[in-house]
Amino acid sequence: MATLTVTPVVAEILLAVGAMALLLVGVYGGKRTLSTVWTGSVALVVLAGAAVLWSSDQAPGVQEAFGGMLLLDGFAVFTKVLIAVGSAGVLVMSRGYLVKRDLDRFEYPVLAVLSTLGMFIMVSATDMLTVYVGLELQSLALYVLAAFARDRARSTEAGLKYFVLGALSSGMLLYGISLVYGFAGSTAFTDIAAIAAGDGAAGNIGLIVGLVFVLAGLAFKISAVPFHMWTPDVYEGAPTSVTAFFSAAPKVASMALFVRIAMGAFDDMIDQWQQVAIFLAVASMVVGTGLALVQTNIKRLLAYSSITHVGYVLAALAAGGEAGREAVIYYMAIYITMTAGAFAVVLCMRQDEKYSEDIADLAGLVKTRPALAVAMGILMISLLGFPPFLGFWAKYTAFLAVVDAGLVWLAVIGMIASVVGGYYYLRVVKLMFFDEPAASFEPQRDRGVKGVILTTAVANSPLSLLLFGPLNTAAANASRAFGL
Amino acid sequence: MIELIVFLPLAGFLAAGLAGQSLGDRGSMLLTSSFVTVSALLSVALFFEVSGNPDAFHTVTLGSWIQSGDLAIDWALRVDTLTAVMLVVVNGVSALVHWYSVGYMAHDPSKPRFFAYLSLFTFAMLMLVTADNLVQMFFGWEGVGLASYLLIGFWYQKPSANAASIKAFVVNRIGDFGYSLGIFATFLLFGSVQFDTIFANVDAVKGTTLDFVGYDVPALTLVALLLFVGAMGKSAQLILHIWLPDAMEGPTPVSALIHAATMVTAGVFLVARMSPLFEAAPDALAVVTVIGAATAFFAATVGLVQNDIKRVIAYSTCSQLGYMFFALGVGAYGAGIFHLFTHAFFKALMFLSAGSVIHALSDEQDMRQMGGLRPHLRTTWALMLVGTLALTGFGIPGLIGFSGFYSKDIVIEAAYAGEVGGSLFAFVMGVAAAFMTSFYSWRLMFMTFENKPRASKDVMSHIHESPMVMLVPLFVLAGGAVFAGFAFQDWFVGDGRLAFWAGSIVQGEHDVVDKAHHVSKWVEWLPTAMMALGLGAAWLFYIRSPQLPGQVAASAKGLYQFLLNKWYFDELYRALIVRPIFALGRLLWIGGDQKTIDGLGPDGVSRTLVAGAKRMRRVQSGYVYHYAFAMLIGVVILVSYIAFYSGGF
Amino acid sequence: MDGFLFDYLPILILTLIAVVVSGLFIVLALTVYPDRPDPEKLSAYESGFDAFGDARGKFDVRFYLVAILFIIFDLEVAFLFPWVVALKDIGLYGWLSMGVFLTILTVGFAYEWKKGALEWE
Repeated sequence: MATLTVTPVVAEILLAVGAMALLLVGVYGGKRTLSTVWTGSVALVVLAGAAVLWSSDQAPGVQEAFGGMLLLDGFAVFTKVLIAVGSAGVLVMSRGYLVKRDLDRFEYPVLAVLSTLGMFIMVSATDMLTVYVGLELQSLALYVLAAFARDRARSTEAGLKYFVLGALSSGMLLYGISLVYGFAGSTAFTDIAAIAAGDGAAGNIGLIVGLVFVLAGLAFKISAVPFHMWTPDVYEGAPTSVTAFFSAAPKVASMALFVRIAMGAFDDMIDQWQQVAIFLAVASMVVGTGLALVQTNIKRLLAYSSITHVGYVLAALAAGGEAGREAVIYYMAIYITMTAGAFAVVLCMRQDEKYSEDIADLAGLVKTRPALAVAMGILMISLLGFPPFLGFWAKYTAFLAVVDAGLVWLAVIGMIASVVGGYYYLRVVKLMFFDEPAASFEPQRDRGVKGVILTTAVANSPLSLLLFGPLNTAAANASRAFGL
Repeated sequence: MIELIVFLPLAGFLAAGLAGQSLGDRGSMLLTSSFVTVSALLSVALFFEVSGNPDAFHTVTLGSWIQSGDLAIDWALRVDTLTAVMLVVVNGVSALVHWYSVGYMAHDPSKPRFFAYLSLFTFAMLMLVTADNLVQMFFGWEGVGLASYLLIGFWYQKPSANAASIKAFVVNRIGDFGYSLGIFATFLLFGSVQFDTIFANVDAVKGTTLDFVGYDVPALTLVALLLFVGAMGKSAQLILHIWLPDAMEGPTPVSALIHAATMVTAGVFLVARMSPLFEAAPDALAVVTVIGAATAFFAATVGLVQNDIKRVIAYSTCSQLGYMFFALGVGAYGAGIFHLFTHAFFKALMFLSAGSVIHALSDEQDMRQMGGLRPHLRTTWALMLVGTLALTGFGIPGLIGFSGFYSKDIVIEAAYAGEVGGSLFAFVMGVAAAFMTSFYSWRLMFMTFENKPRASKDVMSHIHESPMVMLVPLFVLAGGAVFAGFAFQDWFVGDGRLAFWAGSIVQGEHDVVDKAHHVSKWVEWLPTAMMALGLGAAWLFYIRSPQLPGQVAASAKGLYQFLLNKWYFDELYRALIVRPIFALGRLLWIGGDQKTIDGLGPDGVSRTLVAGAKRMRRVQSGYVYHYAFAMLIGVVILVSYIAFYSGGF
Repeated sequence: MDGFLFDYLPILILTLIAVVVSGLFIVLALTVYPDRPDPEKLSAYESGFDAFGDARGKFDVRFYLVAILFIIFDLEVAFLFPWVVALKDIGLYGWLSMGVFLTILTVGFAYEWKKGALEWE
């Protein structure tokens, strides 16, 4: 009989109980308690992040819970804190936007909290069943959020598309899980790892096909090519604050899960999953970069940008080992600052009572809103990966890992993609700084959005020279403390 | 003192160039002119202190420039008689031209820029003449080239001025290439580029050979010839002379300062400075002699038929530079520098007087539109007359004469007495050129000042004598043109020459200059006779029977066209060099760069990318079933690939 | 036989029983029923909707809502049966787990009640 160990999962329990409490408060309190639910949600997510740190302090090394269905290791701690920061940051800047779009309902923060809970479970999962539960909890909440502007055709279309395709990917994942279970005889990662390490694993075609299906299901969640097709449409159709949420925390969680399955359960089948990662990485870098070239909608542009960045992360993953793992989480940590900041700027693109998404409307921003233009410029150049902006260190670490793993050609493709990608990032910068003003946006009064823009812009500016050292150390430690 | 002399013009340049706006036109002009004037007065003082006084020779080291292995180059100012002479010429003429320009450029809108350039040129020229090594000299060499380029193209709105400045720069590059090769060869041979070290080791390396483009060639001759290529470019000697006439597109004071008195003589200075090295390479001296003599003759023939007043003087300059070179070539270094010295006075005088005429005639330069100006421009006429007399070498042998008389005669006599190969050729050419010099100079005088006015009534009504600020510098120059020869001949080429030069150029007790003083009487009288003959011919052609030139031109049409078109050098170069290079450039530009590199490179890549992106975008249709289909295809491809990869089938 | 596959024997038996039983029903229905057809009897029952029509026709979204809510509680009951059978073996841990599960469902139920999802009008 398993004993009840709750210390490692305090954060999850906190999120679950808190979400349900907020749900009841919201539904019975009506408009009066709306602000309470918002504040409570943000506090809950922050508290959960703190709880993770507290839990990790309670015992050294890897802690297990629920009979080994969940665990808490240094890797999980790093990614969970990252997820908490990302979720909280996006929640903070969401409300002002939702109020202006008449979408300010209490379900929004509660769903975000539930989604965060799903992500926490994904990150900690050490069994295919917990993986699936976490993934679905996270996804179902996101499907609803995508369709949150339910009176708008574009938003419901986005939600529906995401749901249908998400269901398909879940089907693939489940099919893969069942194949793995059938050929490994267990859903627990430790058991699967033992089979994968054994003789004949390389010839175990059923296990390999199962692995590929599982990874394909996860590739959908991180929107890697060719499972990316939903991304631009959903990014464009969903309310901007939801898109911002999509692009930050869930990406971290799915990527961490990818790492967990590849390097945890199937560590000894690196030959196989490395090929999958390389395939996805190359396809993502090429297609993401190529299609971003012809975008005119800033949200679609950022969607393709995120696809390209996932390609870089997958390249780092393909490098394998501790260095690859470190590069992945380091990259993700930096990536969420860039993307959250960029979406915060998009949230400022409001004129004539409407939100604009047209890149052309950014023209001459430096003349009308200089501070905003400078912040966006910093973020764009950081996304481009130009030294000494923060994004450079992410790419540098990733490509270094790739080169060290002997995959020089992959790094070369990545660098070519980066150079071509320079076009569409710099085009935004050029528009903002050298063209005549096209639109005049309303001044942003929301302190949350302002705070996020300021924080991310400063973090991504060359001041990042102060930041990247500690972050690098933390990522390296987290990578070393991988529990499986 | 030498530091002040060299750096005052630099200070003037920096002040007028950087702060010209705040100094204003007047401030910039006065500042630069005063600085250069002070510099000129100090130069005169230095000249009297240093010349003939080897104890006063010194080198001021300002600092280290390049330290790289065995190569050590200092910023240093070398002061000896040769430098002192050049300082007087450069600063003297420069100061006078500065003041003259105050009047001449009165109507120009960008005066600070002009004066800044003038001062920059002066500074660069001073660096050139005070250098104590070849590399610092090269610094000055390039500096004057730059200033020349900037000043020829000063009126950059004129396409012809731009073309001329580019031509001057490009042609000079060819010479500079030779010069830099010469520096490399020098370093290879001597392990140093410093003059003292080189001169001290000339005897040691005599007879060694260097490998040059696959041939073993005598090292000293090679070095001397490479350096001489540089001198040919800068001093507009035959083959590389084509830029000088076009350089007249610049303002006239520039022509006087840079393209008559100073910069173009840099090549002469270079050969004189390197005289110990040239002296040890007689084959190189022969080349110098022949090239100089040929240039003297060629330029004089072209000068005979030119109609642009400044071009006539320009070809005259080219011809006189030829004189200087063959003087150096036959070994009469002192005579060459002496001619440089006197020429600076009378040629600057002629240019500035011509400028005065042009100024008076509202920028008319064509002599066919002049004539009959003597009553209107008496002062200018008188000054021009002095210049012409000096240039043609008017004087009575053994008694007295204008400055050009002393210098030119000693040059021709030295050629007669010379023992280097080509000396006789130089003598013949020199004498012939002396006749032609006299002819075209008097032709210029007569066409400009005599007979009836050919200018329009409108122009004639505006005619006016130049202001005093322009005339005073001319008087000073005229003084030099009259007296410089008589006053200094003893020091430069006479009995006092050994003490005067004091080893700063190669001299000997019984050298060619000495022999030149003891040639037969007919040789002594020949140049004077030629001068008189030229004067007579010009009088006959342009005063006595003005229809004669047309008849002669018509009867010898081929020759006339040949001369008028400057021996078709420009056309030859255009056909042989410029057009093939342009064709090659166009090929590389259109075919190589635009079509190949741009086409396959940036442009092609971006075109391909955008086209590819547009095609890819069609997959992004918005239909869920397309997306689901893509996912399924993706997973099928992945599964098959990994299965194949793992050897599952 | 392989021990691993042997574990699946009950499933095989169940499948066989299912095939036999369902086949029996069809055979019995075809052989022993009284044959008195009328149009209402011949039409398939689909929650009061025409069984053969345009699939894209509109109908009230509340049907979906009720159906989904029904499924949740239906599954809850399906989950409760094995729990009841095994309660003796899983003890307090199992009992508490079901408590948590039911609490979560109750919170959801309270939410949908308050939201008015259970009211037809």
